[in-house]
Amino acid sequence: MAKVTVENLTKKYGKTTAVRNISFDLEDNEFFVLFGPAGAGKTTILNMIAGIGDPDEGRICFDGQSMNFIESSKRNVAMVFENYALYPHLTIYENIASSMRTKAHREPEEVIDREVKRIASLLRLEGLLDRKPSQVSNGQKQRAALGRAMVRKPNIFLMDEPLAHLDAKLRNAMRKELKAMQDKLQTTTLYVTHDYAEAMSLGDRIAVIHQGEICQIGTAEEVYNMPATEFVARMFGDSEINILQGVLRREDSTLKLVLPLSNRSYELPRHTAEVLEASGRKQVDVGLRSSAVRYSWRPEEGYVKGTVYTMEPLGNKVELTVKTEGGAVRLMVPVTETPDVDETIYLAFDVSGGIYFDSDSKEYIVCQKETAGKEGKR
Amino acid sequence: MNHLVLKHIYKKYSNGADAPYAVKDLSLEIPEGSFVGILGPSGCGKSTTLRMVAGLEEITAGDLEIAGKKCNHVPSKDRGVGLAFEEYALYPPLTVYDNIAFCLRAKKVPKAEVDQRVRAIAATMKVEELLKEKVGGLSGGQKQRVNIARALVRNPKILLLDEPLSHLDQKMRQILRREIKKLHNEIKCTTILVTHDQMEALSLADYIAVMDQGVLKQFGTPKEIYNEPANVFVADFIGEPPMNLLTVTANTEGDGTAFFEMEDGSCIRVPKRLQRNIEDKGRYIMGIRPTDMALTDRRDFDWECEVDVFEDLGEERTISIRIREDFCTMVTQEIQKYKKGDRIHVKLNPERVYLFDRETGERIGKGGYYGKDVQPQRAGGNCAESSDTGSLSL
Repeated sequence: MAKVTVENLTKKYGKTTAVRNISFDLEDNEFFVLFGPAGAGKTTILNMIAGIGDPDEGRICFDGQSMNFIESSKRNVAMVFENYALYPHLTIYENIASSMRTKAHREPEEVIDREVKRIASLLRLEGLLDRKPSQVSNGQKQRAALGRAMVRKPNIFLMDEPLAHLDAKLRNAMRKELKAMQDKLQTTTLYVTHDYAEAMSLGDRIAVIHQGEICQIGTAEEVYNMPATEFVARMFGDSEINILQGVLRREDSTLKLVLPLSNRSYELPRHTAEVLEASGRKQVDVGLRSSAVRYSWRPEEGYVKGTVYTMEPLGNKVELTVKTEGGAVRLMVPVTETPDVDETIYLAFDVSGGIYFDSDSKEYIVCQKETAGKEGKR
Repeated sequence: MNHLVLKHIYKKYSNGADAPYAVKDLSLEIPEGSFVGILGPSGCGKSTTLRMVAGLEEITAGDLEIAGKKCNHVPSKDRGVGLAFEEYALYPPLTVYDNIAFCLRAKKVPKAEVDQRVRAIAATMKVEELLKEKVGGLSGGQKQRVNIARALVRNPKILLLDEPLSHLDQKMRQILRREIKKLHNEIKCTTILVTHDQMEALSLADYIAVMDQGVLKQFGTPKEIYNEPANVFVADFIGEPPMNLLTVTANTEGDGTAFFEMEDGSCIRVPKRLQRNIEDKGRYIMGIRPTDMALTDRRDFDWECEVDVFEDLGEERTISIRIREDFCTMVTQEIQKYKKGDRIHVKLNPERVYLFDRETGERIGKGGYYGKDVQPQRAGGNCAESSDTGSLSL
């Protein structure tokens, strides 16, 4: 258990800068997620905190104490690996005990026994202590691996994509197992993932990393509803958010949004209109998630005609890419809808549910959820 | 008319008396011009089945009929089948044109006709610009297009595709899937696609044959497979997030109500539709998809339970209830937040509660979704009927 501070961390491999000027704090017992696409630099950051790689610039502190020149083995960090790395020939009991029988962390046998049993009851492993890893389920293996890391009372847990190698079904279940155990961990945790559902489900806060830099740090709600940039918006959700061009136009003394794609003008919620007005922009980018796109198989007032271009089944839903004259739009429909390729479809847009970005800098301006959140807090 | 018929097909790879069957008593009737997906986990016998149709594997027992004619011993080249495998198996030193033309030239088709057919099929598969290229330099997606073009150029009666999209990245897979669907709509050639990817089968096929360990578990339209799974295997295999499958014991009360008691002692009300199918103290497996459960208030509920894990995933939220070692998960669009330990009241969509025999895994009390009993489980003779129910539901 420790407060972890990372200040202006930079790491270069030859001429390429893998991580650039990264700073963040992990509160005591916080579950902090580093989230980003492959190659963003997430694992590089984790490795520097573990002491596996040295930073070129910047500082890493545990409870205010600099760790930069402390060896990995002296930092008391616990890593949980993707493949759990349990000893196959030892029982679950022996596996959990093993981390208290190493040279650096040796404990008396009665302490070991007490600790193993305490952790086992915490992780619901009591009945399984005599079994070998091959005789327990994947979820139980994961819990045993966590238990082995927990008995050491580490300063910080480091987890690098622990669920990435599982198939979709198991990954879903394991994510929930991990979430169920979270409040029992009682340890500061840094979790690396490229799966947005893991990040949103597990993280107290999420740092979104792109090309070695932090785009945004915030709670799941903040990064989902108020993404700092269009990049962040695109990273969350099963179906990638639609970013449509919009033009702001004054009509009858109110500011309206015109979408060239549908060639219609839309009323804006008051707060959104005020902030957009104040920004002084004429052009904006409008981020519309699938839920803000309605569809119909028949022509309806206010709907734009398009054709189904691709169908991508994603579980119990299907992602449709629809080609309209003004461009392509993605939306999700239930799996029971089975349109044909090139079938005609009609779309309508709920711009009040949109997230508005500066069309040049691609940075966040405003969204409706922002006001809802503020009013809720009052 | 059924174009391709498999009658009680068995396949053994070795002769020993106790050698395992790779395919066991497989019967399928495939209508002309339809698109059939054979779906199952690795080792379920799907590729073996395809290879028997192609004539690449001998059939141990049973009959294979193509267009009404028994074909067990007809050589592969005379069966009128076109084959495209996952690995493209193109001739690397030859150009795209020569690869596609290869089998026509081998059959001594006149030069002018070869040229005309190669160009026509290249246009269909959108590889016209590549005809002069060597195949070595093509991308995976282009290679697979050429591969399918080569299979199609001989005007096969049946097109066989073995995991044609597995090698490709997601973007390319999406595009080629669209192409394959369009192609089939155009040429209406009877097509069999072998895949382990349920999403691929659900989006492409008119009918899906689900196999497990050499045995056909269900044959039906994608909607039948999804909405009316014939057994626990199909219910568990199809759908993402997966169907919740709970081990329950039935308790019927004197007043006609009934409850399912779960392993942890909590109780779920049995939908009326299923009450006539259950016996008191009978043990069953109950299935319900995460999207068929909804939150309700205490006035009218089927299940009172406790939240173990709540996840807010932006667009939707999941609530998981723990039953011993497993979770029962529901998906909701409601914005309300919950935390561990909250009591909730859940209503199940009564039409979408599935009941399975605990011993055999077979479905009990079918027919909620279609309003009539469909029996897609055995394929023999049921294809026409299946297609009826399929079109009714569309």
